[in-house]
Order: sequence, then structure tokens, then C-alpha cells
Amino acid sequence: MSLTAKISRRQALLGLAGLGGTVASAATARAIEHPAHPVAAPDAVGMLYDNTICTGCKACMPACNEANGLPPDTLLSGGLWDTPADLNSKTKNIIKLYEEPDASGFCFVKRQCMHCLDPACVTGCPFGALKKDNWGAVTWNSTLCIGCRYCEVGCPFDVPKFEWNKWNPKVVKCEFCYDRLKKNDQPACTAVCPTGAVIFGKRTDLLTKAKARIAASPGKYFENRVYGEHEAGGTQVLYLSKVAFDKIGLPKLGSTSIGHYATKVTSVIYKWLSGPVLAACFLGAVIKRNWNRHEAERPEREKETGLPDQL
Amino acid sequence: MNAHDATGTILVNHWQRGVPVYREPVVTRTLIFFAGFAAIGLTLALVRFFSPLGRFSGMNDAYAWGIWKTFNVMTLTALGSGPLAVGMTAWVFNRQRLHVVMRTALVSGFLFYATGLVALGFDVGRAWNFWNILLPWRWNAESAMLEISFCMPVYCFMFLAFENLPLVLERFYYTGNDASKAFLLRWAPVLRRIYPFMLTGAYVLPLMHQSSLGGLLLLAGEKIHPLWQTPFLPLLYLLAAGFCGLGFVTVLLLMACLRYSRPLDDQILGELGNLLSCVCFLFLAVQYGDLIRRGQLGTVFALDKMSLLFLCQTALILIPAIALRNRTVRETPRSLLRMASLACLGGLFYRFIPTTIAFFPARNATYFPSAPELLMTLGYISLGVVAFGLAVKYFAVLPGEVKDWNYMFKLVRQRRAET
Repeated sequence: MSLTAKISRRQALLGLAGLGGTVASAATARAIEHPAHPVAAPDAVGMLYDNTICTGCKACMPACNEANGLPPDTLLSGGLWDTPADLNSKTKNIIKLYEEPDASGFCFVKRQCMHCLDPACVTGCPFGALKKDNWGAVTWNSTLCIGCRYCEVGCPFDVPKFEWNKWNPKVVKCEFCYDRLKKNDQPACTAVCPTGAVIFGKRTDLLTKAKARIAASPGKYFENRVYGEHEAGGTQVLYLSKVAFDKIGLPKLGSTSIGHYATKVTSVIYKWLSGPVLAACFLGAVIKRNWNRHEAERPEREKETGLPDQL
Repeated sequence: MNAHDATGTILVNHWQRGVPVYREPVVTRTLIFFAGFAAIGLTLALVRFFSPLGRFSGMNDAYAWGIWKTFNVMTLTALGSGPLAVGMTAWVFNRQRLHVVMRTALVSGFLFYATGLVALGFDVGRAWNFWNILLPWRWNAESAMLEISFCMPVYCFMFLAFENLPLVLERFYYTGNDASKAFLLRWAPVLRRIYPFMLTGAYVLPLMHQSSLGGLLLLAGEKIHPLWQTPFLPLLYLLAAGFCGLGFVTVLLLMACLRYSRPLDDQILGELGNLLSCVCFLFLAVQYGDLIRRGQLGTVFALDKMSLLFLCQTALILIPAIALRNRTVRETPRSLLRMASLACLGGLFYRFIPTTIAFFPARNATYFPSAPELLMTLGYISLGVVAFGLAVKYFAVLPGEVKDWNYMFKLVRQRRAET
């Protein structure tokens, strides 16, 4: 069979018609570029957490709950006080204790959304309920979310949480206190931190500050580097730690953005839907030719069996 | 229609056209058994819609996708890719012989997709927001999830449904009154005119979403074991859909024809077996080529838990691929059934493992489907089984002989004369 049949304009149109409304509507949808190593916007805000300063006072936790209208998680304390075991649907921010297995030392770690420069959750979210908003804050919009939980599958930091026990479930994650940012205020956790273990600022400024701290006391910090500078393409929350990052729950990740990895091939194939349209034109032409042959042989087949042809 | 063998003897092609199963009772014990499961599953699904997800499933924040998505949709639609795989070989690669088994592929494919979509509808937590699909400017065009949630329903309820239309209309033609006959005769040429265009859509759309199902997993990145996590996931998912589609149609034809005592057609089955073997080889070539490219061949033979699982999956695909090169194996129903089943199982392994078994979230957590979750999954599958059982009796789905078709009409006429 020769596949070199020329595709006429009519046949090309056939292919398009076969796709129905898909082409017209999807071509208008927006396309966002995903560089492998995204650069933070100049106004990108950030958070710098340093666990050599954190005393584990947990003042940030009730402050976060209050700012976000979250109920205390009293499951483990028998209804007494807020004692979440991890980030969950009632907890957007948590201070966790890490203890060396031989009890030789310990440290704290603050966990919340990392506000990636190119977040996997935003790339995957089908209707853009999760959005990279102003100042780079990753926010969630309840009217667009269908509850597919792709954000939870995609997030390398295990951050978005789902309200499994609600009929009208929300996706719960730190939104960088977006409402406070809009009022030119800083997030509740950084505002309340008494020791300056977590501080708020422009991401570029914080990165400089963190590197200055490393330079001032080399060897104090794990690998003499800032976690979040390059992880998964870079995050707006930065960490300095005296303990290995993966021990305190910050996973080892490459420096390529996950959105880039996931879309580098499809973004070419689906650019203006060119791949599907080309496939439709080609397949349409071949199918039409084979269809015409099939139809040409139909009377003979029908005569042989005495029955109408079946599709 | 009939072929001649080397000695000049006429070989009868037993599969000449779709013929309904007409000598069997419609309601059987098996049907009631599956209908019971379907009823339980659908009742639970309905209750689930009015209560939180947590109570109905073993899912958690680390394993946020349970078997409704990972098995009913991501895995089983591979078996439902018969219309794509058989259809492409018949209409694009012009294997005329395979037209007669298209209806079996179409009905089963439609049921796999439809039940998968029902599963998806009860799996999402905020289904009422799905109306946003009507507003294209709200689409996140780069999301594989969007591609699937748009493409799959459109394919199933527009293109697959259209392809299934002739066999439904055919029944109305033969059972209807003169007015409806005239109506159908008037519209049949129109249907035939748009048919090739719809065929094009019916192949382009599944090519898109069957690969996007693999594309979904790209975003999970390093959570998925390197044996499965690869930029080739979309292509491999598509190829798996290809051989699972061919394999499942073969299995279904063999089982249904044995169940309803239909003669088998060696030539068509042999051709399906041949194609199945080719696509299996193609899949393995792409998969192992990619493993070599990524330098992961050592991981394959590390003989730890994941490597053994991977080797097991490879064996399930490689054994039928090799065995079906042998003509005798292809044309012996028993061995063909075994080999096609193995290939299907291998494909199911490949499609399911990276979603759950080789999926390692950032923190320690486990997932095992809860009882209602399993019952709902079984219910959706049973619904498909019941619908297929009914379809083969009401419509001309399963392939048979022309003389069988004529005999059926003789019986119908006799019955009418008696009453």
C-alpha cells in the first residue's frame, strides 16, 4: 500500500472536520512556556527558613491557622490542642522535629508550600484552579477546581492536601498568605516568628542573605548551599539547614523544572494542535482512499451474500 | 469470500458478518450474577456522591489516586482500545478481513470507556465544577489531565457512539415498522457519507488521550521508579493500548464464540495474533531502547523487588510476542487464547504498575483499596459485562456466517407465523 497519496485541500478539510470543535476551541487556549531552569520574576517574594535559628516555639502555627481561618488539629492530643502530625487538610504550616537516630542531635524544620518558580501543580491543574499568582504566590481557586487531585500526584514536596472527609472538599495548601500580601503585609508565619528563623523578603534579597550567612560561617550549613535555589527549577521558599536536607523531609531533586520535563515533548506536538491536525489530515486521506475502495467493492459483496453490507 | 488452500480445497471463512446470538435465553444466571455486582457498585457510587471520598476509599494525600482512576481509567481503557487498534489496521492499513470483527471491538471499547468515565465521575471530589469544560478560555491547555477530561468523553460519546450507531440502527431496521424503515433507508446514505470523517476523529482522539494517560505520570517525576518513569511514557502507554486492544479483541472473540458455540475463523484470528505479536515486539523495542538510552539496563537486572516486577512484566509481553510468530500457535484457538491473555495481562501490568506499585510518594504512606472502593470498581466492570452480554443478543455484534443470519430470519418468520 502506498502512503504517498497527495493530500488535497478537500481531504485536509475532511481531517479538520473529523476533529470537530476540538481544533477551534483548543487553539485559542493559552500556552505557557516552561524553561528547564526558570528565572524568578523580579518582584517574586520569598521566605528564608534557617533551622540553626529556629527554637521550635511553633508560634507560626497558630498564626497561620488564624490568618487562614483553619481549625486546630486536635486528633493526637485528644481534643486539647493543635498537634498535627504533618501538613494536612487543617494545617498549611507546621514545625516538625527531627532527631538523629542515635539521639546525638536534633533540629526543627518548617514545612509549607515551597512556591516553586515553575510549579508542577499549576502545570497539571486542568482548569487552572491552582495558579502562579502575583509575586509568585501559588494560589487555589475553588470555582475552578474539580477535585481531581493531580496536584497531589505532581507535587514533589507533598504539599497540597485534600479534604477527604468533606462532601465539598477543598485543596488546602499554603498560599503565601495571599490576602495579606495584597494588603502589603507579610505572611503570618514570618510576621510572628520571634527569632527570625523564618524571614520574608524579595527572593533575590533572601538568596543573597542566605549566601552571606553561609560565607560567614563555612561548614555550619549542610553542603554549604541553599535548598530551593535550584531544586525542581527553583522555589521561592529557601532553606538553610545544619542537617542533611533529605533527613528533614526535603527530597533530593534535580535542577530541572518538572513542568519542563512533563511538557517538553507534548508542547511541540500540541503547539497550535499541529500534531493532531497533521495526523487527522494524513489519516483522513488514507482512510478516505480505503473507504472509497471498500464502497466500490460493496455491491459485489452484497450481491454475493444477498444481504446489505454491515458497518 | 472463501479462500482456497494449496490443494485447492475451499476453506470456509466462518466469520462473514455480525450475527446476533439468537438461540440463547437473554437472562441467564451469569447475567444476574454480574447485574447484582453492577447494582451494588452503582448504588455505592450514588451514595458516594452525597458523602465524602474518605469514607469510600483507601486513598490518602500521598496516594491521591486510587483504583478508580489508576485501574478503571488508566489501565482498563487499554483493553478498550480495540476500536483504535483493530480499526486502524482495518481502515488505515487496509486489512479488509478485520472489518468483520470491528463490531466486537467497538462494543467492548465503548463499554470500557463509558464505565471508566462513570468511575472518573464519581472519583473527582468536586464534579460540579466540571462545567468549566464548556469555557475554553479557562482550559489549562498544557495539562494532560485537561486533555484527557476533554478528549475521553468526546471520543466515547461522540465518535465511538457514532461508530456503534449502525449496529443499533440495523436492529431498528429489521424490527421496526414501514415508516421507520423508510426513515432509516433515507438516512443510511448520509451516515455513510460522514462515516470516513468520523473514523478519522475516532483514531486521532484516542491516539491523543491514550498517550496523555502516560503523559499524566510524567508530572509525578521522581516519585515513579526509574524503570517506568521516562519521557517515553506517552508513547509506551499508546503502544500498550495498541497490543492490549488487539489482544483483548482476540480474547473476547474466542471466549464469546466458544461460549455461544460459534465456529472460529482461523485466518482472521491468525491475522490478529500476527499483528498482536508485531505490536508487542515494537513495544519492547521502544521500551528497552529507551532503557539503554537512559542507562537503566542495570536497574532492570538488579533483581530487587522492582526489577523482578519489571522482568515479570517483560516476560508477559515477550512470551506471546515470540510464540505468536509461530503459525501453528496463532491458528490454534487454545494457544492463541493463552498467548493473547498473557499479552493483555502484560499490558495491564505495564499500565498499572507505575501508577501505584512503582509510585513512591515523598513520605511513608501505604494505599490499599478499601472494600467499597473495590466493590465499585467491580461494579463498573460488571456493568460492562452485563451490557456486553445483552448487546451480543440484541445486536449483530459477534461475527458469524451468512447462513446463520439467514437461519435466524427463518426462525423469526416461523415464530411470527405461529403467533
